[in-house]
Amino acid sequence: MNSKKLLLVGDNPFHGISHLSQERATSRGNDLTHPSYAADLVRKSLENGADGFMFTVSETTLSILRIISQGEGRNRPQLYAIVPYAYEFVRLAVLAGGVPGLAMKLAQQIAFSGNWKAIVNGLRGVIGTDPASLLRSYILYEASRLKSSAGKKATLASILLHEVVTDMALALNIDWLFRTHIEFMLDCRIKPGFETRNFAYLVKKFEEWGIDFRKVVIAAPFNPLGFQMCPSRDECEEALTRTPEAEVIAFSILAAGYLKLPEAIEYIANLPNLSGLAVGVSKEHHARETFRLLKEKL
Amino acid sequence: MKAKVAVVGLGKMGLLHASILSVLDDVELVALCEKSTLVRRFSKRIIQGVSVVADLAELYGMGLDAVYVTTPLPSHLPIIKAIYTKGIAHNVFVEKPLASSYAEAEELCNLTRNEGGVNMVGYNRRFSVTFRKAKQILDEGTLQEPSFFEGYAYSSDFLGAKMGSKTSSRGGVISDLGCHVVDLALWFFGQLEVERAKLESLIGSDSEDSAYFKVRASGGPLALEGEFKSSWCMESYRLPEIGLLVKGSNGTMKVDEDKVELKLDDGRSFLWHKHDLGDDVSFFIGGTEYLREDELFIGSILDGSNAEPSFQTACKVEEIIDQVKRVKENSRGNEQ
Repeated sequence: MNSKKLLLVGDNPFHGISHLSQERATSRGNDLTHPSYAADLVRKSLENGADGFMFTVSETTLSILRIISQGEGRNRPQLYAIVPYAYEFVRLAVLAGGVPGLAMKLAQQIAFSGNWKAIVNGLRGVIGTDPASLLRSYILYEASRLKSSAGKKATLASILLHEVVTDMALALNIDWLFRTHIEFMLDCRIKPGFETRNFAYLVKKFEEWGIDFRKVVIAAPFNPLGFQMCPSRDECEEALTRTPEAEVIAFSILAAGYLKLPEAIEYIANLPNLSGLAVGVSKEHHARETFRLLKEKL
Repeated sequence: MKAKVAVVGLGKMGLLHASILSVLDDVELVALCEKSTLVRRFSKRIIQGVSVVADLAELYGMGLDAVYVTTPLPSHLPIIKAIYTKGIAHNVFVEKPLASSYAEAEELCNLTRNEGGVNMVGYNRRFSVTFRKAKQILDEGTLQEPSFFEGYAYSSDFLGAKMGSKTSSRGGVISDLGCHVVDLALWFFGQLEVERAKLESLIGSDSEDSAYFKVRASGGPLALEGEFKSSWCMESYRLPEIGLLVKGSNGTMKVDEDKVELKLDDGRSFLWHKHDLGDDVSFFIGGTEYLREDELFIGSILDGSNAEPSFQTACKVEEIIDQVKRVKENSRGNEQ
């Protein structure tokens, strides 16, 4: 028998994302991406069984956090924050004419944030060509944005590196990046995390590098269809059996809206070693029904 | 046997291909070449076991089987020319589009005719399971004779961008985004010819931000007409969206990156999401198409076959873009 699972509200709908149909996401209009509407959905989810919110750190999600922190309601939702907001970084790089332009923009934002720890780490990183200091600088900057938006009612449970960073670093064998993030987050008393679409590959690499699974959160797709479970559903399930100590959170449980919730629940309920899941909701009745059912069945 | 590969240009696409190449069993990523001192300095510290060099000439003598060119568009011609003429490698992959103009694309095709080797352009939508399914439906004649198509390519990349945004190095909206749907249409229907064209500048006077043009099939039996719409200043396109609607004498097909919808005149209809079409890869990064694309290019080098879309194939996209600009110029002349 599995223990109770952590239930998180996902943020994809609030960024106008539908992996089943981009056409559908576009035609949904702007309501969902409006922070007050999205904050209502998160609140409704929390009232109906959700334990927290998993989101990419963006202006939209920071606004949602600000609204939630000001309102009434359930205390201390657990926040699982994913950085960086890759889409915005790519867009900034496009507008700024490439990676050096993006680096300049980010440096400006950190410099004007007034976060001295972030600024000092950033300077150390640039002067000493030290990417680990730059990573710390960036994480400090994002953590301070998060804390000031979320207020004292929320618990920042984990900061996860976005799948683009995680998966590139896995592919390019950049083990120090994982170690740096883990050590630094633990120093900050926040659980380090990694979002990936290559769960089996990540588990293999972490075993090879001797990374302690007890210390990390891993977010990865798990669904009965095997959608985006790379290289295969079987291999991801097998890797999951080797990580009983990690906090593994499933996303894409509905295979991007292709599956119905009961099918996903049946599959998730029978997976060993899964600590929780994140699922997006786009309407008030979805929020209510989804988390009531998840709470009841998991 | 492993193919020894270098990547030139460490922007978004360079990093993406370098990552994919690093996980392919039959590839040894040997070198990265980047002209930005800042990016190079950090890359040397971040990525171990790979040479990071400033100049293309430093790749000479590394015994490379292939080079990936992922630099900004205006540099494609001089870099590829140097790769061939300096004997750096025999096989070249270049991110789309092939070149800044049709003349430059033709020059590159001439070079490859002399050089031989495998050459390929990164029109990755051909490796999407939905567009492959659409191609299969057309090839099997399910729609019978196609008579009309509408292709679109939209993004919000430059929505709200101010004058002075770096759109020029991307060559305008057709070269940057619309080229994908032009390539797909050429793949689906064969040779096309531009009849009418309209380009709009929304950000600055020298920026091509929105395009509309009409085409018809040329050099074949098809009585086919089509139109293209593309813009990188659209609202609500967080991710670029590319798709086609095709009308045939037996029904209609809609295809985009997520699904294929087929409605036949006899009342039958079909819907395939990418989930239904075996959209699995061994390593996922940036989408499933990129890995398939790189596997094909590397596989072609190792087994001596051709890879598509080749430079010759991609040159036809440049020909269409060139026609759009000329037709637009002519219509402006007529208006005056």
